[in-house]
Amino acid sequence: MIKALGRLIDKLLEGPPQKHRGVMGIFYYVDDVTGAVQALRQSGHGPVSVFSPVPHHDIERALDQGPSLVRWVTAVGGVLGITGGFALCIYSVYSYPLVVGGKELVSLPPFVVIGYESMILLAALSNLVGMLALARLPALKHKAPYDPRFSEDKIGVWVPCSGEVATRVQETMRGHGAEEVQVHA
Amino acid sequence: MADELTYEPEGVTEGPEHVPATMTQKRLNDDLLKMISKPGIWWWVILAIDLVILSLGMIAERTQIYYGIGVAGHTRPVMWASYVTNFVFWVGIAHCGTLVSAILFLFRSHFRRAVYRVAEAMTVFGVLTAGLFPILHLGRPWFPYWLFPYPTQRQIWPNFRSPLEWDVFAVTTYLTVSSIFFLVGIIPDAAAARDRQKNPFLRLLLTIFSFGWTGSNNQWKHFYGAYLYFAALATPLVLSVHSVVSWDFAMAQVPGWHSTIFAPYFVAGAIFSGVALVINLLIPIRWGFKLQHIVTQDHIEKLSKLVLLTSTIVAYSYLAEFFCAWYGPNRFERDMFWYRFTGHFWWAGWIMFTCNVIIPLLLWFKNVRRHNPTLFVIMLFVNIGMWFERFVIIVGSLSHPFNPSTWDVNYKMSWAEAAILAGSFAWFGLFFLIFVRVLPAFSVAEIKETLPAPMRRKAS
Repeated sequence: MIKALGRLIDKLLEGPPQKHRGVMGIFYYVDDVTGAVQALRQSGHGPVSVFSPVPHHDIERALDQGPSLVRWVTAVGGVLGITGGFALCIYSVYSYPLVVGGKELVSLPPFVVIGYESMILLAALSNLVGMLALARLPALKHKAPYDPRFSEDKIGVWVPCSGEVATRVQETMRGHGAEEVQVHA
Repeated sequence: MADELTYEPEGVTEGPEHVPATMTQKRLNDDLLKMISKPGIWWWVILAIDLVILSLGMIAERTQIYYGIGVAGHTRPVMWASYVTNFVFWVGIAHCGTLVSAILFLFRSHFRRAVYRVAEAMTVFGVLTAGLFPILHLGRPWFPYWLFPYPTQRQIWPNFRSPLEWDVFAVTTYLTVSSIFFLVGIIPDAAAARDRQKNPFLRLLLTIFSFGWTGSNNQWKHFYGAYLYFAALATPLVLSVHSVVSWDFAMAQVPGWHSTIFAPYFVAGAIFSGVALVINLLIPIRWGFKLQHIVTQDHIEKLSKLVLLTSTIVAYSYLAEFFCAWYGPNRFERDMFWYRFTGHFWWAGWIMFTCNVIIPLLLWFKNVRRHNPTLFVIMLFVNIGMWFERFVIIVGSLSHPFNPSTWDVNYKMSWAEAAILAGSFAWFGLFFLIFVRVLPAFSVAEIKETLPAPMRRKAS
């Protein structure tokens, strides 16, 4: 019973076969990857994607990656949070006006705590949503063939292409020290 | 694999980030992810003991729900006692994780990489434990949702001017943000574990936790973009949460509570106890899973220096409180501080002072900081001392209020409270035991970043 369930999970995780068209180069050295990425981009092949176990600044520079836009999503969440926190307190004291301890109905100093915590809560939640949306997570389908070695010590460079272009891309990758090049057609 | 390694061998050069120079990316995956495997006999034995203790706590709680809150030893004027003490203790424990993961991340203290996941897990499980106590302390624990603001037909809202309501916002925000921070950090490591996991059930779990991560440049870009902001948001949050907890007391006019020093004093105390518990968890984990070459003695020593630092802040706070009570004009305050060390609960006051101020002085010695059995015992004392600190503040102050006619009535902890306190440790331990077996307890990706990147043209 448990074994059958295990097989079912295995099948579920495997998913339907996905078709990819392009060339995947598998590298070990970071400087080989940066060289290959620069050469591929200079010769107009692209878009180039890199898969790595850890991020490398050299690769980011070679890909000409700008900063993540997630900070703007976070900022919007923070502003909504602080506004919402104060609004909740002020609305609630006016909707049922009850003087407690002789204090003003709208007592801003204690409301700062609620506003502050709400700001952090909404900023963090929008940071999460922004990250997931921009990084396309959770990813049920992959845009490129994935290799488990990418989470270990290998770096993959993927260029979607076909035909003659694929041959040229393959040559460029081999010329820059790829340990293995897989052509998916 | 583990047998081939010589742990902390003499003459092995360590990199600036403490990992041995012989370490490779692949070996790091092997060494760290082997933790997610079939548990051994000792794990089951510890789990069984944990479940027995947890059951005792649950029986006590069942008795309390059945007979009412009177099962606890609360007596006028001490109506806040062990449950509130436990709440503050566990929130304090929870503080260290965010300190180690967020604040040290912002300060670029790279030693955090080897230890932060354990600390973060401790944070999440600590808040989950702390969050139980305000509910257990309710006369009708099935109505905790009354604490939250929600629209009702009668327009009844919580009192936002009350520090207890601030606590609801602070603690729920802290639980949410620290859980997100913890789970987001796990994504790349869960993917690494998923890729080598053979057991289909664990693979399914790790696939869920990895969110389908592939390590693409786009994913890394947004992951670190967001991670920085999580750290930047968690840092002010961690400082605010224990400040808010301290204001539960400081906003009241009870002698011994009504003090402006409470917020920084509580935050330092929280970090003090939290880091001590991280050391108590790391020492057996690195020994049990043979990870001494990854969580090195240097890491443990750096954490114990943090305990020493926060111990001095806590000691300063104690002395400043005493000085202010003696020097200030408030005779009730002076009387309270005298009572703390000579009154009915004098022993609690002295346990607090000895464990938090005197015993940590041993950490000034390098030999002590590098001797794990001694360090383990010192950290246990620190946590005993920090529990008693909260006990002294809460029970000590409440048992000696303005009205002298109530001074003879004193609180005694009931069996139910003791069982629930023990059960809270078992509840925390249960989460932790499961965590180390199913999720990566050390950040594979971040420790990997400390290794030199493989370069073909090294010299150039």
